[in-house]
Amino acid sequence: MNSTKIEPSLIRDVRKYGKFDVSGCFNCGSCTLTCSLSDDHASFPRRVIRQVHFGMKEPLENSLEPWLCYYCGDCAKACPRQAEPAEAMMTLRRYLTTLYDRTGLASKLYASTGWRIGANLAAGFLVILLALFYHLHFAKLNLTDFAAMPMGMEHMFNIIIYFTVAVYLIPAVLLFMNALTMHRLTMQNGNMKIPSSLYFSEVKTLFLHGVTQKRFTDCADKASKTRRTKHLVLFSGFILISLLVVFFLKWFQTDKIYPFYHPQRWLGYLAAAALIYGSFEILTGRIGKREQMHRFSDPGDWMLPLMILLTSLSGIAVHICRYMEFPLAAHYSYLIHMVIVTPLLVIEIPFGKLSHILYRPLAIYFQAVKEKALKQQIPGEEIPSEVEAT
Amino acid sequence: MSDKRETLLSSARTDPEALVDTILALQEQVQALSKPKLGSALVVGGGIGGMQAALDLAASGIKVYLIDKKPAIGGVMSQLDKTFPTNDCAMCTMSPRLVEIGRHKDIEIITLSEVEKVEGVPGNFKVLIDKRARYVDVSKCTGCGTCVSKCPKSVPNRFNEGLSNRHAMHILYPQAVPNKPAIDKEHCLYFKTGKCKLCEKACEAKAINFDQKDEKIELDVGAIILAPGFQLFDAKVKEEYGLGRYPNVITSLAFERILSPSGPYAGKVVRPSDNNPPRRIAFLQCVGSRDFERDYCSSVCCMYATKEAIIAKEHAEGLECDIDIFFMDIRAFSKGFEEYYQRAKRLGVNYIRCRVPTIGDVPGTGNLIINYLTGDEKKASCEYDMVVLSAGMEPPADTKGIAEKFGIGLNEFNFCRTSPLTPVRTTRDGIYVAGPFSGPKDIPETVTQASGAASMVLSLLREARGTLVASKEYPPETHVLGQEPKVGVFVCNCGTNIGSVVNVPEVADYAKTLPHVAYVETGLYTCSNDSQENIKARIKEHGLNRLVVASCTPRTHEALFRNTIREAGLNPYLFELANIREQCAWVHMHEHEKATQKAKDLVRIAVAKARLDSPLYNRPLKVSNSALVIGGGISGMTSASELALQGFDVYLAEKESELGGSLRHAYYLLDGSGLQDHLKATIERLKDTYPFNKRVHTYTGATIEEIKGSVGNFKTKIATNGKTVEIEHGVVIVATGAKEYKPEEYLYGLDKRVITQSELEKRLALSGNTGIDEKPDTVVMIQCVGSRHDKRPYCSRTCCAEAIKNALKIKDLSPDTNVYVLYRDIRTYGFSESYYTKARQKGVVFMRYEEDSKPLVENFGSLFSVKVFEQTVKRELEIPAGLVVLSAATVAGEDNKTIAQFLKVPLTQDGFFLEAHMKLRPVDFATDGVFVCGPAHYPKSIDESIIQAQAVAARAATILNKEYIELDPTISELNEDKCDGCAYCVDTCPYKAITLVEWEWEGKSKKRVKIDEALCKGCGTCMATCPKDAVHVRHFELEKLRAEVFAALNIEG
Repeated sequence: MNSTKIEPSLIRDVRKYGKFDVSGCFNCGSCTLTCSLSDDHASFPRRVIRQVHFGMKEPLENSLEPWLCYYCGDCAKACPRQAEPAEAMMTLRRYLTTLYDRTGLASKLYASTGWRIGANLAAGFLVILLALFYHLHFAKLNLTDFAAMPMGMEHMFNIIIYFTVAVYLIPAVLLFMNALTMHRLTMQNGNMKIPSSLYFSEVKTLFLHGVTQKRFTDCADKASKTRRTKHLVLFSGFILISLLVVFFLKWFQTDKIYPFYHPQRWLGYLAAAALIYGSFEILTGRIGKREQMHRFSDPGDWMLPLMILLTSLSGIAVHICRYMEFPLAAHYSYLIHMVIVTPLLVIEIPFGKLSHILYRPLAIYFQAVKEKALKQQIPGEEIPSEVEAT
Repeated sequence: MSDKRETLLSSARTDPEALVDTILALQEQVQALSKPKLGSALVVGGGIGGMQAALDLAASGIKVYLIDKKPAIGGVMSQLDKTFPTNDCAMCTMSPRLVEIGRHKDIEIITLSEVEKVEGVPGNFKVLIDKRARYVDVSKCTGCGTCVSKCPKSVPNRFNEGLSNRHAMHILYPQAVPNKPAIDKEHCLYFKTGKCKLCEKACEAKAINFDQKDEKIELDVGAIILAPGFQLFDAKVKEEYGLGRYPNVITSLAFERILSPSGPYAGKVVRPSDNNPPRRIAFLQCVGSRDFERDYCSSVCCMYATKEAIIAKEHAEGLECDIDIFFMDIRAFSKGFEEYYQRAKRLGVNYIRCRVPTIGDVPGTGNLIINYLTGDEKKASCEYDMVVLSAGMEPPADTKGIAEKFGIGLNEFNFCRTSPLTPVRTTRDGIYVAGPFSGPKDIPETVTQASGAASMVLSLLREARGTLVASKEYPPETHVLGQEPKVGVFVCNCGTNIGSVVNVPEVADYAKTLPHVAYVETGLYTCSNDSQENIKARIKEHGLNRLVVASCTPRTHEALFRNTIREAGLNPYLFELANIREQCAWVHMHEHEKATQKAKDLVRIAVAKARLDSPLYNRPLKVSNSALVIGGGISGMTSASELALQGFDVYLAEKESELGGSLRHAYYLLDGSGLQDHLKATIERLKDTYPFNKRVHTYTGATIEEIKGSVGNFKTKIATNGKTVEIEHGVVIVATGAKEYKPEEYLYGLDKRVITQSELEKRLALSGNTGIDEKPDTVVMIQCVGSRHDKRPYCSRTCCAEAIKNALKIKDLSPDTNVYVLYRDIRTYGFSESYYTKARQKGVVFMRYEEDSKPLVENFGSLFSVKVFEQTVKRELEIPAGLVVLSAATVAGEDNKTIAQFLKVPLTQDGFFLEAHMKLRPVDFATDGVFVCGPAHYPKSIDESIIQAQAVAARAATILNKEYIELDPTISELNEDKCDGCAYCVDTCPYKAITLVEWEWEGKSKKRVKIDEALCKGCGTCMATCPKDAVHVRHFELEKLRAEVFAALNIEG
């Protein structure tokens, strides 16, 4: 077996991304035992915490375990030394997020609140510039024109559709590239060859967990079902509104006034309600430290739900202004809406917390593929817990 | 000085009344301090610690008041079945002490009492005691037990940890001292409802008195020793373990009671829910210790769990009984512990390194489920019949009250506060502490600390010794010579130890048939206090003039029974003990019929000898009231100082040219405080300060050339600075210390970047850095170097704390230096656990390796690294290093063999000195008058050495305080007419006690041998060698031995 050279600075690096004060840990194992998501193929949090302590950089980079944790916090409750293993896993997720991003921007955002706020502001400012540029240069309209005009949502359609697609496509592409890095780190290490057929046969895992998020319910604590419901609601709201604005923009963002029961209205309401409910729950949870995972919050943990909430509220503002026939106000609201949602998508998805929308289900998918591969390699034999075979 | 004056003047102007009050209080204090000191002491707590302190004090002339809040003394040790690591029966080792205290003329036991108030100054304390009523007149009570059986009210028995019931009228435990019942007022029907009084009606001695009142007792004492013990952590607080919910989850103390023959199930190991024997038992370690609320290690639980596992397996007797012990680190750090732990593993006890966070149950069966992690980080599950929680030691329940009443300070965990260099002192002068109240510890450490506390009291009350004690009067001796022998035979059951194997009634009936046997009786625990009274009564009643007790070993009980018959007016040597336990019941556990027959044989042999026994008398030997201390390290200097404070002259011999021993190379303690100043001060004090400069005679550069003599009369030749000094002294204290093993492994000696912990400590203290010039700035420490393996199986005890001490120092001096500690178990016991926590918090990384895959230190070219197969990640890790520090073993000094030969004391197979009894006589030797302290006994820390050195002073004082000691008469006697001086016996005597004397008489050359009675041990070798039948050992003459042999073969002769 080859030696793993240790890097003493690893723990200092990891600590840049959040609370990793596991120094109280004396390796008793209570955390791993309590974790209902940890199993013999992916054992956590103890092993992964040990790897950080020991400066085992490569095994840590190759690990999927941090993504397999859903932060129920039972391990932190069981820890006899209050070493906060659950928060350590959270910090590791941030660390891995910065690792998968080759640009280094994610690292800057997490390490510095100034950078995080600055990047979001910059993106928002860029949107304002673009809007000004468009209106002054291309559309050649001025404020009085806006005041006189009826809604004019449809007039913007051509430019908005490009903008919307861009604002979804850019992060999607970046995130996909990060996912390739993730794949390289987690699946292409060691001597184990993984047949590509397995990627196809296990792809159902990706969709199953991505859509239903049933893994939440495998957490043993009583609140896990509620957490899943809340998250599913938030997630559905996000997917719904994204589908509406990307594929049905012309129908959705219309000058026409529809009756209350028309799908254009209540689908929008549904998405908004889901997003407001979900983000509101997160914010009140973190303020009141309601659950284990709410006890520690870094700037990214606040910004994401806040931005979702503000996006939803500004979207509703547009809607209200439209229906109450205040066109100028509607346009301003729309601009604010764009200014908030753009960084939310363009910054937070590839470089921030929202990246988990792909990393989590991908991790579960990769883990399933690994386990299948091992089973095939040594049929009938016991699968070693060290899935990275050497 | 002028500042003080100014302050006082200004306060006089602002608040003259307060100043006047202060002056008056100071005047009172001065008056009190100048009063003559009282020669009495209060010992709070009648557990094994309190008992040891009481005995040591009383033996040196201090009157002792021993108070306990229970109705009897004995403490937690009385609840134990066996003790580790010797597997001795706790009660057997303790009962001689219980009896000695119970009958001691200078120890007054005050039970059912607590201290309410303490006032005064050292030498003159006024103590107010709250004594609860027993409702039994102890002067009338015979201890017959009728009242107990008549009492109708049943309550859970706390002594049996609630597993059985007792009555409101109860005796605490069978061998209790005092062996008198007490009424539990809280549950007594008469006190609650006004009806009952069945006990009073049944009592023939009219000893029950419901009108007894609680009383207040005022005592004036010179000093106080606090030994209130500990309480077991209440594991019900940890609801996840189900104590109280699941009937088969019990505490370790409850399991101890289950194992005990006087426990709730009479020694049968069965589980509480259905009384079935458990097939699988799990032990959970560290329950209530080593967590964030109690960041200390309770020190004893790893060992007691191992003990309970071994004994449980023994009780299972052929039925399967699998035991799993779930642990984090095994703290087997003291003498004999590591070997005991390995023995348990060989016996099949399974140790699983995993802390168990919860216990589940299997409903309807009473079984329990434990989930744990295997070494491969896999989850596993196992079902158990019973789970034992190894609960930790907490300070006693009323610790805050004690602190307030006695005016002493507590530490952060609410144990009694002491400081590392004064480990027996509380924060108040004149009040000392012993036992778990100052921190979790086991029995030998408690007993040692108790003796240490006694020593400090003896120094304090030096002038008052002997002023308040009573004089011992034995009744006049009955003449038995010329009388027909009338032998009394008492056959003991020893609970179930003997009775479950040997048919005791049958043996008793057989004894009745033996010639000259006038009286036979059986008993449950013949060694108990009331049993002694019974024996004395029977002797008088039946005019017995010989006593045979068929019970256990004379090693622990011969002195006890000899004293008993002496108090009945018989010469103590008219007693024989037939060992039907160690030599019969215990070794023939599965052959009851043959054992019974053998017991009969043994009784017959004892009776045959007893018939022929005749009175013998001890010879007085004048004691030389000074001591020789061999070794001038901290242990030697401390014991010398303590003895000087008590008023004795001490000769201190040190082989190096300066005093200090290993302390010269130690620079700071675990808490970072410095040591060299203390060392300097200690050495200077010996030279400059009274009484040390007058009483302690120091010889440096000294070698012991010869030690002759025995207790009370030693003559020693010391070669020092070119001349030879001859000294006479009464006791010898061995304080020769130990040394650091010079490693042969890990490139030590071959690469200058590999050093030992002591070398690191010196470097850090003197130059303030690790000495690493090039990167990486990484220190790798390797534990257990030279310890815990085949050649040296013991644990060197201090290395884990030392490594952490140095790691913390490195992090203090240079926080960016990486420190790795490679360990097998981290053994930071007691309060040193919190330093382990601090080290982790400062970023010291701990990696675990196993004995069969040790680390590898490599230096190829520019590469210098340590490779280790780390057990928690199951990978080989390579640590590029700047410095490698080896925690080398502590090994016995090479002079130990020579000293051991001079003093005729044994060494363990590891070369350390072997004490008389590992549990209850940890500083004595089997040879009288010789004592040991410090690392010469076993590796230990500085504060532990100081405690042991102080203890030795108290133990030595029990001899030095006497003018005469009595020599054992059972030694060789020469028949001068028969001896013709052939001198065959001279060389064969292992004690060199025989010399040949030649003289002229009427022109003829006469030869004869002479026996030195002080050296003779009565081994009998000369008697066996002598062809002329000219020498015999008194009490073992040929005719007596012949009688025994004939009795053994059951033939007339």
